[in-house]
Amino acid sequence: MNLSSLLTKDRVNLMIKPGKKNKVIEDLVFLIKKGSDAELIVSTLMKREELGSTGIGKSIAIPHCRSLAVDKLEIAVGRTTKEINYNAIDKKPVSLIFLIIAPPQDPGNQYLLTLGKIVQIAKELTKKDLVFKPQTPEEFIILIGQIEKDLKKRK
Amino acid sequence: MASEVVEMHLKLLFDLDNLLSDMDEPHYKEIGFKIEDEEKLSLSRARQDLLGKLPPEIAGIYERLRKRYQKAIAPVDNGFCFGCFQQLPTELLTRIKEINTCPNCGRILYWRRK
Repeated sequence: MNLSSLLTKDRVNLMIKPGKKNKVIEDLVFLIKKGSDAELIVSTLMKREELGSTGIGKSIAIPHCRSLAVDKLEIAVGRTTKEINYNAIDKKPVSLIFLIIAPPQDPGNQYLLTLGKIVQIAKELTKKDLVFKPQTPEEFIILIGQIEKDLKKRK
Repeated sequence: MASEVVEMHLKLLFDLDNLLSDMDEPHYKEIGFKIEDEEKLSLSRARQDLLGKLPPEIAGIYERLRKRYQKAIAPVDNGFCFGCFQQLPTELLTRIKEINTCPNCGRILYWRRK
């Protein structure tokens, strides 16, 4: 499964207003769900953050959880216009955030496979210094597609 | 307790239980998300707190189902229980009770908002 095919331009916001971690996560969740479903997802994501930050370093975070509120794997991406304090593992601020929400029933454990893939892509983005390069959601999705192709070739 | 509050507590409890079981997956650790035992313990305490907020009979049903199936709640899709994949009787679709269980497998049913 390609990550670029799961991403749609309405799920990519490269102009997220900087703010507190929970507010930024909430803004990203709103790209996927609204109302009490969004409230539930944010609560679960924040519980996950309490266990240890999903800020993997080098300005990238990957908040994730399973939730009853979704019936399929949902992904949204946000980049804040200014880096935010995320309590990341390298103690540095975060700007690019990949949000993954998976349904509780998940045949083939697509959730963890996708999570692993996003970590890989995120590392490529930082290694090649591409985090801030895409200027539009379309450019971002194309870039992710290219990285996926490169990773496949290397295998 | 209002049924919406019960439903919210149940859903959060279920999501936390999924979080706990995912953390034990070897692949999760391989990806690089290592959770310390101390943190796991704090999550277990949070789930116990949530369980305590539920009416005792509902907490009992939830725990019994979790022990039996791991996932105590099953979403309903297109009139089917997504725990046992059996079609639900039409009268159940009116959802009149505080919590509804699947007549076949007993799991707590959850209707997603569209």
